[in-house]
Amino acid sequence: MLWFVWQYVYTCFLRFWLKWFLRQITGRCELQRICANCKAGAPRTAKAEHSLRSSKSTVLRGAVDVKEDAVENCVAQIMKEKNIKEQSDPEFKVRLRQCLMQISGYNSLYVSVEELRKQGFDSENEAHEQMLLKLWNLLMPAVKLESRITKQWGDIGFQGDDPKTDFRGMGMLGLTNLVFFSETYTSTARRVLSHASHPKQGYSYAIVGINLTEMAYSLLKNGALKSHFYNTVPGKPQLQHFQQLFCYLVYEFDKFWVEEQPESIMEFNLYREKFHDKVKLLLLDPSITLILTVEPKN
Amino acid sequence: MGLLTILKKLKQKEREMRLLMLGLDNAGKTTILKKFNGEDVSTISPTLGFNIKTLEHRGFKLNIWDVGGQKSLRSYWRNYFESTDGLVWVVDSADRLRLEDCRKELNALLLEERLAGATLLVFANKQDLPGALSKEAIREALALDDIKTHHWSIIGCSAITGENLLTGVDWLLDDIAARIFTAD
Repeated sequence: MLWFVWQYVYTCFLRFWLKWFLRQITGRCELQRICANCKAGAPRTAKAEHSLRSSKSTVLRGAVDVKEDAVENCVAQIMKEKNIKEQSDPEFKVRLRQCLMQISGYNSLYVSVEELRKQGFDSENEAHEQMLLKLWNLLMPAVKLESRITKQWGDIGFQGDDPKTDFRGMGMLGLTNLVFFSETYTSTARRVLSHASHPKQGYSYAIVGINLTEMAYSLLKNGALKSHFYNTVPGKPQLQHFQQLFCYLVYEFDKFWVEEQPESIMEFNLYREKFHDKVKLLLLDPSITLILTVEPKN
Repeated sequence: MGLLTILKKLKQKEREMRLLMLGLDNAGKTTILKKFNGEDVSTISPTLGFNIKTLEHRGFKLNIWDVGGQKSLRSYWRNYFESTDGLVWVVDSADRLRLEDCRKELNALLLEERLAGATLLVFANKQDLPGALSKEAIREALALDDIKTHHWSIIGCSAITGENLLTGVDWLLDDIAARIFTAD
């Protein structure tokens, strides 16, 4: 309760006067101070985003929803609004532009990920079918698929003899993620699959991949991945950066599962939650970067 | 007053029920659970293991167990039979090819001793899909009329739209409540 009162008093009165006071003694506004003093990446972009979002000016508040092609214009408007002269602080413009590119980039990454997720797997679509077969060939190069509908799909962790119903709410996002991991880190993916195929401590590789796609998707959606992307991609993050994060999750989940030695696959949700909490905790660190680094033995 | 009566009285006090939701993979078990609980159903992925939700409905505390339906998990179903008051069997009404498989799995469950006292609700799910069979067709395909060992009912529903979920659950609760809370 006390905390809420403090928050209210702070945001309504104190913050304004504190900013005013700092502006008088430093001669710079809050955004300028952030751009000058904070390290590039999440420390700077996240602070700038917060500052813009809490601003009284509609120009500044609107900047957090700016589209990529309007960034340049938006920077000019902010500088005009805040009465900042380019000559007196030449770095500011460049840095603010980069912050806005990252902020708008994160939003547009979500839009493209959501688009792919909403696209359901369609057996009539040749490209979808080809991608599914590609996944098989990447993971099981030595084994030929006997037919399109076969129990063999179970060997790479689908539920039944036709994977098409397994993508569900994750749609083509689930399949493209699985293919990306198998294609980019082929030998690692096969090693992970071999752990998953363990008769006692195994798990359904593909289904876990789809579940982890859901984890990555929801982290992206609720903004938890901001620090990670602000720190790892200087401009606008692309779909492949999201897929790289998925690779990190699959690899780390496999390691976690093997270490924890769950009794059976029935414990999956329990360990999924533990793993999820672990990732969420890591993401609270403003300097976080979740990059897959393959350990040679494992 | 027998021991059974005392146990029944104890249960009455808590007004707690344990529901077990089973069915083949992709039948829509998790979607039903989430929809019933008012959660988003657009981003569901296949269930590995199980989900459990405890929710209040009409003054009852419902413990609903939703166990994954893929073939390799079915041998684990037995671990969840104990003290089940109601069995919810979920059917994908559009999946004609696996109806026989579905009938066999249900029949096997009904022979289980630990489920002997449970009420059976069959949800003929996915009625919103154009190719879905009617609940009468499902009733016939699963030979439900041959069931003499359990109280049962079949309800056509759609987990996506939420249609008839409440009707089904309410029937189940009424039947269970009539059995365990009012008997003496």
